[in-house]
Amino acid sequence: MIFSVARRKPGKPLMLEARDLSVSYDHRIAVANVSLTLNAAEITAIIGPNGAGKSTLLRALNGQIKPASGVILLDGQPLERLNRRSISRRVAVVAQEAELRFPVTVLEFVLGGRFAWATNAGWGWETERDLRVAEAVLQETELTELSGRLMNELSGGERQRALMARALATEAPILLLDEPTANLDLSHQATLLSLVRNRCDRDQSAALVVTHDINLASQFADNILLMKDGRTFTSGTPEEVLKPQILEEVFEVKVLVDAHPVTGGPRVTPVHEPHRHS
Amino acid sequence: MSSTASNIVTSPARQNRVTLRKTVVSCLALTIALLLSIVLMSLIGSEQLPARASLCALASFGTSSCGLTRDQFDILFQIRLPRILLAAAVGGSLATAGAAYQALLRNPLAEPYLLGISNGAAVGTMIALIFFGASEWTRPFLAFTGALLATLAVYRLARGRAGATPERLVLAGVIVTTFLSSVIVFVTTLMDATRIRSFTFWLLGDLSGTSRTLLPVAITITIVGALALTLNARSLNLLMLGERDAFDLGVEVGRVRVVVFVVASLLVGSSVAASGSVGYVGLVVPHLARLSLGSDNRISIPAAALGGALFVIVADTVARTIIAPRELPVGAITALIGAPLFIYLLKRA
Amino acid sequence: MSLPAHVDRVISLAPNLTEIVFAVGGGNRLVGRTSYCDYPPEAKAVAEIGDTLHPSLERIIALRPQVVLISTASQLEIFTQQLQNQNIAVFVTDPHDLTGVFRSIGQVGEILGQQQQATLVVQKLRDRTNAVEQAVKQKPLVRVFYQLSAEPLYTAGHDAFVTDLIRRAGAISVTAAVPGAWPKYSNESALAAKPEAIILPTGGSMGAGNSNVTEALRQSPAALAGRVYKINDDHLVRPGPRAVDGLEEMAKALHPDAFDK
Repeated sequence: MIFSVARRKPGKPLMLEARDLSVSYDHRIAVANVSLTLNAAEITAIIGPNGAGKSTLLRALNGQIKPASGVILLDGQPLERLNRRSISRRVAVVAQEAELRFPVTVLEFVLGGRFAWATNAGWGWETERDLRVAEAVLQETELTELSGRLMNELSGGERQRALMARALATEAPILLLDEPTANLDLSHQATLLSLVRNRCDRDQSAALVVTHDINLASQFADNILLMKDGRTFTSGTPEEVLKPQILEEVFEVKVLVDAHPVTGGPRVTPVHEPHRHS
Repeated sequence: MSSTASNIVTSPARQNRVTLRKTVVSCLALTIALLLSIVLMSLIGSEQLPARASLCALASFGTSSCGLTRDQFDILFQIRLPRILLAAAVGGSLATAGAAYQALLRNPLAEPYLLGISNGAAVGTMIALIFFGASEWTRPFLAFTGALLATLAVYRLARGRAGATPERLVLAGVIVTTFLSSVIVFVTTLMDATRIRSFTFWLLGDLSGTSRTLLPVAITITIVGALALTLNARSLNLLMLGERDAFDLGVEVGRVRVVVFVVASLLVGSSVAASGSVGYVGLVVPHLARLSLGSDNRISIPAAALGGALFVIVADTVARTIIAPRELPVGAITALIGAPLFIYLLKRA
Repeated sequence: MSLPAHVDRVISLAPNLTEIVFAVGGGNRLVGRTSYCDYPPEAKAVAEIGDTLHPSLERIIALRPQVVLISTASQLEIFTQQLQNQNIAVFVTDPHDLTGVFRSIGQVGEILGQQQQATLVVQKLRDRTNAVEQAVKQKPLVRVFYQLSAEPLYTAGHDAFVTDLIRRAGAISVTAAVPGAWPKYSNESALAAKPEAIILPTGGSMGAGNSNVTEALRQSPAALAGRVYKINDDHLVRPGPRAVDGLEEMAKALHPDAFDK
């Protein structure tokens, strides 16, 4: 199913584009014929039920999974023609953190984001510029005080901020975030997405956020892509997508959509019917 | 720039980072310790040599005998020094391979022996000895082949749905090790009783084999291998934190994996072909290096190489003097030192 | 465990014991041997029950022996217990020197009721031994290195059987004082020992192995003078009748002038 590109601010460059993408994973088709574009200064959210193919789509966009068909263009060039490092300079991923088995400080962790800019692949030392970038993102994510601590000593929310900091340290203009708020409490959820919003506004970055949290998406995203069973169900602005009949069909649950009292955007509340005993 | 920025510049985190300077200084210190140990340990052995004359002869690089008798000179330069250099090569190779496996597999317990690589190399060497006994070159070659085949077997066994996770890799390694151990035992029972004894000794690590042609090969492989792995240290730093993360940040994971497997097989193969399986070096030395210098592979891999050389030189000196004129297999000593040390390290972690 | 008056079925678990059984004339009563028991040639017709280290208990029992001859050098202490549990008489003999061998021959002769033949055999062996010792009595002792294996370097220690033979052959093993039977020896010490002669046991069970002097001894007085003697290893390590052959061969090699007629 091909759909039209959603609201795009006039004059903004197209950064990452997927055309008619199909991706198989685990011997089944996880993503079928999806097209999307990521434009500068825009946040696109992907929402949908479990197994809709959201994370697989994200992984295909950064080159980790090879699509079965379709094409992905990064700044107009096909993704498969680019080498790993040049992709990493343009696309950064914030995903769930793997278990850390070796001690590493926050600063060292964040400096990992500068790898793609190293002049020698695999060897070399961090430059003065690398350090300044790292320090700037640590400030941005409010981790300066913790920069000398070991990653294992940080709380869940702090670790997520460090992951964010590392992605920001790559200076990549395209950010792909996979469930970035999954383990965060309320205050940190908002903070993290505000960071992304700032980046987009300030540096004209493009961001793609895969999330379960529909209301967070509603608040921060410029475009929403709603997926079901690997396909695009619909896409558009939050107002266009977050309509009761659409959400009920996709999530198979009754919802109530009203206007958020503060932001004015759509606010989605699932309605649980009490179980009737017959 | 606010005041917090200037705090960062002088922050302890920044200072404690591993830098080129730190690496060079540590490696220089370890190299000096290594050279000192080579000189000092060559003065110790089952036969007494006059210290001053020996030092003089060593300083002259063997051009002058400095008053040593013909036999003393031969003992020093034909028997002891080559053995010490071989110990350095074996120790450096095994420690470097261990450090690389630990980084790649994200498991501080990964070690050539535990993963079955050493046994693969041992089987290769045994085949070389039995079928091509006369030709020396077949030994390191078949040992390398055996090590590589064992690596591939471990990797295939470990590949599950989620890729080859570190846990599955170590489990597969244990399976391959025990299987190859049985093969080795089986082959030794086919030998007659007299050869069994010498094979068993060799399997535990024996540095007394003097091969004039293979020693320079072993040393070269150690240096080249350690360099090759150090040049991938930054990639390994990221791989150590997670394969997916490393991929996202720009590491060519597949390529680095191949490099580590091939180079480590080369290092293990050349060591085992020369001296049998010397255990614990690949486990204990990289641990010590990381504990004292940090997990950054740019410093811990070269430090492990130098430290491993030092460790085996000392262990071998004990092995060849403690019940002189008899000898113990050096693997027995590395196990005796390594096992309690490892328990201590585990407790600290 | 008491022995029956007449022993018809005996099993030997060591090559030297097989040779002794045949030497005292009891070969036709041998019903089981190890795979290493290859002498005399008639022994090869006897049923095999495994090798010296891991003989098959089942096979042994199936052959219904009355006595099993064991050498403790084959590390069979546990095994001995199992045999006794099966009511099979076990005779343990582990000669460390030539005198012990003569005694063992006598004992096996008694067990098999072949005392007369045993006595004859022992007498002949004693005569030959005395002849050798007499011939070399006046000769200067030769300093000998016994090389069991080149790489890793193994030699004969204080407890090795062959050390006694070397002594009787008019020589002194440079490693005679080293504790143990077959110690792994330091290359340095071998070089420093500067042996005058080197014995290479080879050609018997060892096959073509061990036919080269180890690297550390290539410049020794023995090697430079060409005094490297290859002797059938079965004659030197089996504490049986052929040990006297080994004694004669060594003595003739080390002191050729003592045996010129």
